[in-house]
Amino acid sequence: MQILKSIVNCAALLSVAFAPLSAQWIHYPTPGIPRTADGKPNLSAPAPKTADGKPDLSGVWTAQGTKYFFNLTADGVEAPFLPSAAALYKQRLAQLQKGHPSERCIGHGVTDYATLPAPRRFIQTPQMIAVLYESYNHYRQIFLDGRSLPKLTQPAYMGYSVGHWDGDTLVVDSSGFDDKGWLDMNGHPQTETTHITERYHRRDFGHMDLQLIIEDPNAYAKPWGVNLVLDYFADEDMIENLCENERDYSHLVVKGKEESK
Amino acid sequence: MRALVLLAACVPLAAQWIHYPTPGIPRTPDGKPNLSAPAPKTADGKPDLNGIWVSADVKYLNDLTAAGVDIPMQPWARALYNQRKEAMGKGRPSERCLTRGVVDFDTIPMNIKFVQTPTEIAVLYEEYNHFRQIMMDGRPLPKPTQPAYLGYSVGHWEGDTLVVDTTGFNDLDWLDNNGHPQTESMHVTERFHRRDFGHMDLKITIDDQKAYTKPWTVTVAGFNLLPDEELIENICENEKDYTHLVGK
Repeated sequence: MQILKSIVNCAALLSVAFAPLSAQWIHYPTPGIPRTADGKPNLSAPAPKTADGKPDLSGVWTAQGTKYFFNLTADGVEAPFLPSAAALYKQRLAQLQKGHPSERCIGHGVTDYATLPAPRRFIQTPQMIAVLYESYNHYRQIFLDGRSLPKLTQPAYMGYSVGHWDGDTLVVDSSGFDDKGWLDMNGHPQTETTHITERYHRRDFGHMDLQLIIEDPNAYAKPWGVNLVLDYFADEDMIENLCENERDYSHLVVKGKEESK
Repeated sequence: MRALVLLAACVPLAAQWIHYPTPGIPRTPDGKPNLSAPAPKTADGKPDLNGIWVSADVKYLNDLTAAGVDIPMQPWARALYNQRKEAMGKGRPSERCLTRGVVDFDTIPMNIKFVQTPTEIAVLYEEYNHFRQIMMDGRPLPKPTQPAYLGYSVGHWEGDTLVVDTTGFNDLDWLDNNGHPQTESMHVTERFHRRDFGHMDLKITIDDQKAYTKPWTVTVAGFNLLPDEELIENICENEKDYTHLVGK
């Protein structure tokens, strides 16, 4: 019951957080995409390639459903917590996610943006991929020019990301995170030593497999992660979605106080 | 004093950009970027605006009329402008960590990156970690559905100049720190011209007849290329402090 309540609270909170009530995406037929005879996007057509023969990940994508956004271990895999991380996770869970950076409109990090069922656009050049997130109007850069991960100068929510092609799979390595972001709404912790690997494989025109692997010797005993699928979001474009309710969020109730109302 | 407050807002005190030699740029014999080399072109022959740019001067962020352009304000817009100026900028959206609009992002001396493809230009702003899209695929401006800080932008090439038309603005943002107002009927035209490798000129036209009696144009400071560095994350976290800023 408590868990259900937590989900309901979160869902209510989240619908405020990432979709304006009157949200209406900007409809515009995506030029140049494969279509079936009736004009609908052909989502099972082959995945496209760029001029230089790499998989072309360009376009607007969204995650299927919210379950991994709430809980990366939703499928029953247990995160191999070290004791300090286990204690912090337990505390966040008990507080019904009170204290998540998004309550101050700060935004998300790599894993929770990946699992969020909101549109994000990949813009791909031979040198980089820019990912533009509708949520919070934030972006992230993935460098493809062969540079190595830099020595950390300033910990960040989104860290620093470099990618390379492993056959048809884009492998992205990220580090340089701060310890303030949460990996999911439930509160799986990250630290400044977190290393995230993402493996993107555009299976066909409309679907992209994504494997997330989390490694952190200060929080987890061994690497762990989740597999999810991103869907192509045809014929719509993102709208501006700035977080404006930072004044309200800090007044959100936590467990216990609510029952007394 | 106000300039100090704004700088505190824009740049983390410990900010240190991530040094990385920009691959493939023209360099002088001593290895320094050759900023007066010719402007590059894309594979399809268009000017290539890719790179990190920073506004060459703060004065137009403070006041779009810094060069003495006479702005024909409607009476209510004049009154609102005077009130904002009197309050020393108190009340502008950035104090709640919201964002800026296209005009004040064009004039703030902070890093912005152009990521250009044949069908779209994404502009990545270091400040707030926000972005803007400029659609280059020939689509028309849509009928605005939801007024926005950054509006909706479409661009086309006129010779070597990128012309960007933007509508769909809200009336919440300010065009500059002094507080020149905008309304939902505003149409902004930006003309970007990369003069040489290291410099880009910018002319901005504001057409908002609800606030101004006629369209007006300002040639702002333009941009200098920032080679060999990378953007850092700069998420606005001091929204709790801003509301305590004093006005006059």
